[in-house]
Amino acid sequence: MSKELAVDPVVLREEVKSKYRDVAINPSGEYHFHTGRPLVRRLGYDSAIVDSMPDAAVESFAGVANPFSLRSLEQGERVVDAGSGGGFDCFIAAHQIGPQGQVVGVDMLPEMLEKARKTAESMGLKNVEFREGLLEEIPVEDGWADVVISNGVINLCADKKGVFSELWRVLRPAGRLQFGDIANGKPVPESAIRNIDLWTA
Amino acid sequence: MLVKTGFVEIQISKPYDTFGEARGEKKARLFDVYGYIFLAHKLG
Repeated sequence: MSKELAVDPVVLREEVKSKYRDVAINPSGEYHFHTGRPLVRRLGYDSAIVDSMPDAAVESFAGVANPFSLRSLEQGERVVDAGSGGGFDCFIAAHQIGPQGQVVGVDMLPEMLEKARKTAESMGLKNVEFREGLLEEIPVEDGWADVVISNGVINLCADKKGVFSELWRVLRPAGRLQFGDIANGKPVPESAIRNIDLWTA
Repeated sequence: MLVKTGFVEIQISKPYDTFGEARGEKKARLFDVYGYIFLAHKLG
């Protein structure tokens, strides 16, 4: 483990997989965070778009904010969703960019990828694909994306410097990053930062 | 981290009460944890 990292990234990754595998399989379970349509309403997503989506597109959503609130996407843009989970933000992105744009969702969880792919197919979305991968090694070529979005995932990665380098790499020059994440206003004790159980609790 | 990576023209949204009324609300309040949107640009 790198001396710069607070926790072992491999151990943290397994912890995150365990938690979010449950969210994929049992989205109506009890978690420390909100999920699904109640969360979508709380975060202010456009109900006109969300209400038209099937439950499978929304139920495993576990983001922390609305990446489209400061700026919407434009028709024809190429978008990468880093940590796409069940695909909800990819489906919102697809609506905004239209059929000429492309969305690539990247996630490390096979259960989320399977769910997202099935949902995209059921929604008839031909320009949304999902790839298995880590945010530290995003399976997208250099400079491909006009926009990278992400929602509540970067905080779950131990190597944030590595993640931001990857987000930078896949963006084209003058591309933009619009992501949701959590931040704490009061300092978290060092002992808590190094306690891996608390990262997903 | 965004600035160190080279991103510019950074905007941050108002806070979202992400954990309000959730099971994790108590812990979130303890450290003043909220959700935010960050918008940043890669130099052209």
